[in-house]
Amino acid sequence: MDHTALAREMRGLREQVTGITDTALAAADGLLIAADTADSIDPEGLAALAAAGLGLARRTAEATARGALHRTVAYGSHGCAAFYAVGDTALMVVLGDEGMDVERLHRATQPALRRIDLILTDRTGTTVKTAEGV
Amino acid sequence: MSGYEPLARDLAACGRDGFTGEVRVLGSPGGTFHLHGGLVVAVESPGAPAPEALLLRSGRIGGEEWAGLVRESGGARWPAAGLIAHGYAGAAQLRVVCAMALQDAVFAVVAGSVDGCERGPATGPPPAPVAVGEPPTRLLQVASRKLAALLEQPYPVRPDRERPVPASLSYAAGRLGVLQRELLAHADGRCTARDLAFRTGRGVYTVTVEVSRMLGEGLLECVDAPRPIPVRLPPEGHGIRPREPAPPRQPPVPEATALPRRRPGATGINEALTTTERDDTGTGTGWKEFFRLRNPTAK
Repeated sequence: MDHTALAREMRGLREQVTGITDTALAAADGLLIAADTADSIDPEGLAALAAAGLGLARRTAEATARGALHRTVAYGSHGCAAFYAVGDTALMVVLGDEGMDVERLHRATQPALRRIDLILTDRTGTTVKTAEGV
Repeated sequence: MSGYEPLARDLAACGRDGFTGEVRVLGSPGGTFHLHGGLVVAVESPGAPAPEALLLRSGRIGGEEWAGLVRESGGARWPAAGLIAHGYAGAAQLRVVCAMALQDAVFAVVAGSVDGCERGPATGPPPAPVAVGEPPTRLLQVASRKLAALLEQPYPVRPDRERPVPASLSYAAGRLGVLQRELLAHADGRCTARDLAFRTGRGVYTVTVEVSRMLGEGLLECVDAPRPIPVRLPPEGHGIRPREPAPPRQPPVPEATALPRRRPGATGINEALTTTERDDTGTGTGWKEFFRLRNPTAK
């Protein structure tokens, strides 16, 4: 696994979308892989919460015939937490403040998620582009 | 301030045309200008705290109370009447907050990069509008003057670029202002001036100017390289595994109203009766004998 490329993708996303405060990557079972988070956040706990939350949302989507799950977003008065599946192997958490444009985040994460999936599964030979501005 | 000229040209045209609707500014951070009759009544940008964020982050109102006011107002994004009625702010204070947030958002748009503009119809009522709109040309001129003044500082910073940390000098400094103490508390090498403005519930222009001053006074400093992001390897021999598939669906439960179907012979009564008849014939003490004893004339 290319650690440098992974860190570059996470930092690149934060630079690309105004308002992102923290990002974290975890395996599908909730074990933390990498965290670009402030000291006030427990990254291991965040990774476990993200795995549980995404699993619950996926089951809910299945039980209610809503199709494949795209993402979950928890909105609070001081910002939001977005959870994305990274292929079948991992998940990504993005935290943002109340100024973050969530639609813009969703657009920016799609190519980043694909590249991160390739890095995690050691298929970077097929990577086409790296994150912009990094 | 890249892309400023096309933005100024397009907004000036909106003013001349008496345009009513939205102008989306593409770029970083970009934003949306809400116009009514050629005047700007509200501006939203990810680069500057909206009036809602200013009130919530400054602690003037809590998140639960805000949600209650939004419910009370029927889902309005800016529950001004409720804020005044419940005493969270006066009408004049809200007008000032809205006007400041509007000017701050224009500054954030101008200080960033502009890739283009798109006119469109209003998608809804403008959020936290000012009572009297501002001519777009004047707004842009004020914002560009602010940016020019900022860039003339001894240590100029951009709202979305530098990520300072407290310098060693700050720990020994006395007589710090409230804003300076707040910025020192939140500056962790991850936050830009824009992020610090959101954290502290203050205008992005105010915070950017203060960060610039503090960098000049040696209270803050910019580190050369960001903190590395540690990547953890999975345990030896255990790569990153695909997630476990969902458990198979349970077979459908029969309807609760459906009664069990009756099958002939399921109770075993026929076999029991047959046995009894057989016993009757063998012992002579069956039901027929019982009736004969009670009524001797019966056959």
